[in-house]
Amino acid sequence: MAGRLSSRRNLPYLLVLPSILGLLALIIYPIGFSLVNSFRQWNLQTSPVPLGFVGFLNYQMVFQTTPFLDSLRNTLILSVAGTFIEFWFGMGIALLLATQLKGTNAVRALLIMPTTIAPIVAGFLFRYMYYEKGGLLTWLLTQVGFPVPPQGLLGSSTTALASIALADIWQWTPFFAIVLYAGLLSIPEDIKEAAIVDGATGLRMFAWITLPSISRTAIIVVMIRFMQLFNMFDLVLVLTRGGPGTASRTLSYNLYQEGLVNYNIGVAAAMTWLIVIIVTILINVYARVAFRGWEW
Amino acid sequence: MKEHRKAISRREFLKVAGLGIAAAGVCSVAQPALTQTALAAGVRPRAKAQTKEIRVLVVGDPFQFALEKVLDDFTSQTGIKVNLESLAYDALNARLVTSFVSQTPDADVVTVDAMWTGQYFDNRWIISLNDYIKADSDVNLKDFIPEVLYSLNLWRGNFVSLPIAAYGQGVMYRTDVFEKAGLEPPPTDPDKATGWTWDKYMEIVKQLQGMEMDDTKLYGTVIVGAQPVPIVHMYTQLAASRGVRWFKQFPEAPWDFEPTINSPENVESLKFYKALYDLSPAESINYVWFDAGTRFSQGDIGIFFWWTPYFYLVKNDGYMSGTPSKIIDKFAVALLPKLKDDAPQVISNGGWSLGIPSSSAKQDEGWQFIKWACSAETQKKMGLVKDYNYQFSDFARVSLYQDAELKAIYPYLDTQLKLLQQGNGKIVRPPMPIYSTLEAIYGLQINKVLSGAATAEDSLKETDMLFRNALTGNFMLPYKLESYDDTLENARKLIDSLAA
Amino acid sequence: MRMPLHRKVLIYLAILLVLIFFLGPIYWFWALSLRSPTSAFASPPEFFFEPTLNAFIYTFVNPGVNRPQLVSSLIVASGATLLNLPFSVTAAYALSRFRMRAKQFLMMWYISLLMAPPIVFLIPYFILMSSLKLRGTYPSMIIIAQTITIPFSIWLLKSFFDEVPIDIEEAAQVDGASWHQALTRITLPLALPGIIVTSMFAFVFTWNNVIFPLVLSNQSTATLPVGTLNYFATTGATWNFIAATAVVTMLPPMIIFLVLGRYIVRGLTFGAVKG
Repeated sequence: MAGRLSSRRNLPYLLVLPSILGLLALIIYPIGFSLVNSFRQWNLQTSPVPLGFVGFLNYQMVFQTTPFLDSLRNTLILSVAGTFIEFWFGMGIALLLATQLKGTNAVRALLIMPTTIAPIVAGFLFRYMYYEKGGLLTWLLTQVGFPVPPQGLLGSSTTALASIALADIWQWTPFFAIVLYAGLLSIPEDIKEAAIVDGATGLRMFAWITLPSISRTAIIVVMIRFMQLFNMFDLVLVLTRGGPGTASRTLSYNLYQEGLVNYNIGVAAAMTWLIVIIVTILINVYARVAFRGWEW
Repeated sequence: MKEHRKAISRREFLKVAGLGIAAAGVCSVAQPALTQTALAAGVRPRAKAQTKEIRVLVVGDPFQFALEKVLDDFTSQTGIKVNLESLAYDALNARLVTSFVSQTPDADVVTVDAMWTGQYFDNRWIISLNDYIKADSDVNLKDFIPEVLYSLNLWRGNFVSLPIAAYGQGVMYRTDVFEKAGLEPPPTDPDKATGWTWDKYMEIVKQLQGMEMDDTKLYGTVIVGAQPVPIVHMYTQLAASRGVRWFKQFPEAPWDFEPTINSPENVESLKFYKALYDLSPAESINYVWFDAGTRFSQGDIGIFFWWTPYFYLVKNDGYMSGTPSKIIDKFAVALLPKLKDDAPQVISNGGWSLGIPSSSAKQDEGWQFIKWACSAETQKKMGLVKDYNYQFSDFARVSLYQDAELKAIYPYLDTQLKLLQQGNGKIVRPPMPIYSTLEAIYGLQINKVLSGAATAEDSLKETDMLFRNALTGNFMLPYKLESYDDTLENARKLIDSLAA
Repeated sequence: MRMPLHRKVLIYLAILLVLIFFLGPIYWFWALSLRSPTSAFASPPEFFFEPTLNAFIYTFVNPGVNRPQLVSSLIVASGATLLNLPFSVTAAYALSRFRMRAKQFLMMWYISLLMAPPIVFLIPYFILMSSLKLRGTYPSMIIIAQTITIPFSIWLLKSFFDEVPIDIEEAAQVDGASWHQALTRITLPLALPGIIVTSMFAFVFTWNNVIFPLVLSNQSTATLPVGTLNYFATTGATWNFIAATAVVTMLPPMIIFLVLGRYIVRGLTFGAVKG
């Protein structure tokens, strides 16, 4: 709703100024800090203060001494697979809810509960259920004949990343379900009826009418969730600490390890910039698609 | 598990209230203690500080429980009050680094991990204790095990801390299992240890694997496999004992950090460790320190080697649970095996020491505390604390290993002393300035071998390359700064000169 | 259009399975908080057991190890919510009501802050707060939380302001009211539900955040999620205590989401989807 109250030209800028200044004040330091120190030798293990400038050595060290590429690969797998599964699983539930049978509202209210939980708590919940001996999920999977690795679901390189993904899927599928359900409800009846008159049924109806009608909603939630998955940290910290080996290490965890465990500030700063560049590209691509033709 | 509840202090409360953040909702749920503190503060003028108080930051390791029990002695002896705060390992390091970076005085005495010694002293975060020790002959420096002072406290010709809990590594095994299997008990005296080799150890582990004992199927052994830090603690002991060294020359001057990690000895050791893992519970790849001890105390492990505090920790069914474990009367400790009978032994000496931050304004009082806490008298008292089935025998002083009263409670003290005297912490895990970075790399790589993601050869090749990158990037290779001859011999000389 | 009965039954069955999948784990964790330690890892799992409140008593009553953390969580979450309002209400109002050339750019800038990985800010903040001697204080956590709360609230609030008809405001101005009178007397009261909803979401986000307090708090200012983590990071996880603390951590967001009902979709999508 573009306003018509533009009598004072500078007023709107005055009103947004506090938030801009506040946020700038908050982010300028980290950005400047990371930029400067990414070119300086500064390792709290060897010196309390930054030493000299070392060119691109820290950037080189990101690749030479930390599993950055492994982490990037894991992060991408997690984000793409996680978003995909959560979207379609959520869509399925939304379609179930859209039948509008009695009790749908109560179901909807209960269903969102996993999403309300702090990710770290969700991590604990799954860590408990994944426990090798007596963990509920491990036990259930064994009962149905699933080959649970002897070192536990979190301890095996083949299942560690998937186990993190499952916890995330549990927590965020309801988010997709509820948002997509809202999208489904907003499809005008007459469009649906017109389609039925044209002979559309089942899958065709879904592909031709339903999906296009909620595409905008879908793109926005996919963008939000993909980025949240891309930044995954809490679950990794509680479930696997990136292990075994680097099997479930994400970019965020890799940065945490280098900066706040090893206190290698220079290399961490360089890694920060590499991640910022990747994220900026992703956000721009997404935002351009998601908010194309948006009415501001 | 024990947490120390700390009521919100009045100052913090006022700070918050002053910011207008303590909304009505907050006050209504705030605990009574908080309200009382605030009320009391409003009514009574603050008591004048008559008695001196020092702040002591310790890590939440077993010694902390015993130390707390005897803390009142210090106050009654010196009139100095002690504000003791304990933190988890990660939290302690973060807290110390914060305080050092901001140059904010935080504590007057801090616990320093053997591995942090170089970093903290080189950054001028903690001070040398040489002058204090020299001025105070009742420290009785000569009573300390030289190998411990050398491993934990010597850096660039200074003793920068004194040990409050000294650890080595040794073997724990089930006596009942050995009896049933018809096995000789492993040796406890280095002079009568012929044939006690890693190959023999492996033989025993294999023999015990799958054995039935009291309706429990045994695992031969248990290892610690969690990356990055825990696995390094256990693996480096095995590797060092089998002749593996990290660098070309350290701690002898001139230092040369050319990595020697990718050696045939290490490849063999790593394969050996993987073989041990194959005879352990599969989930031990995720085990951190206490997990291995807990597993042993639960009764399905035949033999394993680990830090000496586990000699008493396994008496409980869980870490400091106070409930006696099933095996409390069914285990004994022994020496660590060697590569060959004629090979030298190297034990991983580690543990916690007390140091004085350079930012502290009460360094003299801090020193008094260190002297008291590390004294034979206090350490003995800590060993006599009954709680949790006697949980402290990490003595750094020779005299305590000969104490009849303590030996009655901790029958393994003779063996433990022999282990510590074979120790060389500077070789097993060299406390050079970027140790943490190297440890993170190493831990990840050896963990990959256990999980089957890499072979021993490949992983060590990779480790060598990553080590070189990290060392070069941090200007440690080639090393151009000043080197010190921080050898055992020089530690002895320093002890003599300071004690004179 | 009536649905055949067998189809109805199938749908209900599917919904039931979905509910079990999503609520079962929560139930299982609540059960853990009421178990005795020996029952926690019984194999096979014990579905029936004698409940005990011991874990809650230990964590919140006597000795109440985690009670100060509950207070810290409330202070940080309420503080962050209150601090964010003056910044976000004004900005959201301007972005909703006025024609601005930079509007699209600004909105994109805000949302990109929301999407940025928080961890990249963390290391500099750790150094900054340490050297300002603010690390370990509530203000440090409250201020840093603004990197999330301000952009989030601006997005969500703008969607609420957009719904307040502009005509009412204009009518008031015709009657001689100035823009700020129109704002405070007419628009703000009308948008108040939106402001409350936004505040509740901001509260939940700060409440659930662990990464900033993990690094910025100290022992006496640690929030509940950090307290939960402490049981885990030290020597041997005491699962009953973790569960008791976690259950208390879960409750406020759950209650708030139940109250928010129809605003959930909008809140979770930053106002981009109306719901």
